[in-house]
Amino acid sequence: MTASFWRYVLLVAAKDLRIEGRSREVLYTMGFSAALVVLVFSFALANATDPGQGPLTAAGVLWAATLFTGTVALARVLDRERENESIRALLLSPAPRPAIYLGKLLATSLLMILVEVALTLLVGVFFSTGVFDHLVWLAVILVLGTLGFAAAGVVFSAALLRARSREALLGAMLFPIVIPVLLAASRATACLFDPLAPDLAPVSFWMRFLLATDVIYVSLGLWVFEPVVTGE
Amino acid sequence: MRAIMSTMPSRTKSSLFVGACAITAALFIIASRAIVEAPQEVTMGLVQKIFYFHVPCAWLLMLSTLVCAGGSLSYLFRGSERGDRVGLCAAELGVLFGLCVLVSGPLWAKVAWGVYWQWEARLTSSLLLWLMLLAYLLARRYGGASARQLAAALALFAAIDIPLVYFSVRFFRSIHPHTTVVSTLGPGMRPAFWLALVAFTALWSVLFYARLRAENTHARLVELEVLLDQAEEKKP
Amino acid sequence: MKMVALAYGFIWLAVLVYVSLVGRRLLRLDGEMDELRRRIDRLNR
Repeated sequence: MTASFWRYVLLVAAKDLRIEGRSREVLYTMGFSAALVVLVFSFALANATDPGQGPLTAAGVLWAATLFTGTVALARVLDRERENESIRALLLSPAPRPAIYLGKLLATSLLMILVEVALTLLVGVFFSTGVFDHLVWLAVILVLGTLGFAAAGVVFSAALLRARSREALLGAMLFPIVIPVLLAASRATACLFDPLAPDLAPVSFWMRFLLATDVIYVSLGLWVFEPVVTGE
Repeated sequence: MRAIMSTMPSRTKSSLFVGACAITAALFIIASRAIVEAPQEVTMGLVQKIFYFHVPCAWLLMLSTLVCAGGSLSYLFRGSERGDRVGLCAAELGVLFGLCVLVSGPLWAKVAWGVYWQWEARLTSSLLLWLMLLAYLLARRYGGASARQLAAALALFAAIDIPLVYFSVRFFRSIHPHTTVVSTLGPGMRPAFWLALVAFTALWSVLFYARLRAENTHARLVELEVLLDQAEEKKP
Repeated sequence: MKMVALAYGFIWLAVLVYVSLVGRRLLRLDGEMDELRRRIDRLNR
């Protein structure tokens, strides 16, 4: 992967982020629906009499909300290429297809992480858990979890570009596949949120698991993106 | 056109297929006798005999996923239409036998563990695998213009995901029997188990062959129809 | 005992349903094949 390859990656990502910067559509819609999901969960799961459940529930809600609303970000980032058939222009450009994939992955992940930061604050407030006790670890887990989700998500979102029931199908395709990511991320986050946890060994374990999963998903995504997005 | 017609299923192939069905039926009869004659397990009693059907179905779920992934790989990277058809047939069988696992397991679990379901490694990964194969079929049906590519990508992600899911969920204590249980089977149970496994695998092969033949025939019929339409237009 | 019967019964039922679906599809394909053969004959006349 040469310097020009990475230049293309950054170009594609920058393009998406610039568009998003002007309209802020994904940030606002994803952010708002994520906040609502957290609210819905807090009402549905509120258990004021059991403080011990706080960290686990908070972590679970954070990642569940991220997953559900992450499909919004995925759908929009790829959907923009449908309008005016700009996907064709993108594919005709000299940018290598894997670079397009990585660029989209980068842009989507960044948008999702921005929303997740706000979500973490919200979750901390609604579930009364200390969410910023281990900031660095939390940042690492957020990044790795988001990357894993987006790695698979960009592939399926691209494949559904020409489908009619895009929104319904994206969740159906994606959720079973990203369950390991959800599991690992929420377990690690629960440990980070728990003031009574003896040590951070589980976090280290799940972090390594997430890293391995991300490597596998991104590799598979790089490989599979081209036939999926160009296939007839 | 004559060339295409000549590649249609011939009578020889049909008799081989009937032979295979007969062998499968015979295997099932032998296996069933062995299962009935096998001794009852000490702690679980009669209900343990579900094992003889449950485990082969689980094995076939895995096999179907692998075959589906193989076909999808061939379709995505070599444009093999046949690979695509293989993937579809394997996915259907995976959903069928997966359903058998997911129904027989809880029925056994209710008696053995007192609960229908447990969120542990093997159950969770089997359920997710089944859901992924179901999603494959959904993708094929409603995926629009790139339905086949979407489904193929899904099959590949599903195939590599299974060890991941299994490993991640295994972190928690499991009450599901481990794989070592097969090697520790008593001498009375071993023949019944292996016979059932062989019988089910034969059944899978026969069903797979029949389903694939239907798909291949359909594909050639479509080709033929196109050619016929063209020929009929040219005829004065 | 009931569970064993249910489990085995379900598996047999599921397999039978699938076999009948495949069988129906094969019959339909046979019909389409015959139709195409007739069209070819008409064309060659």
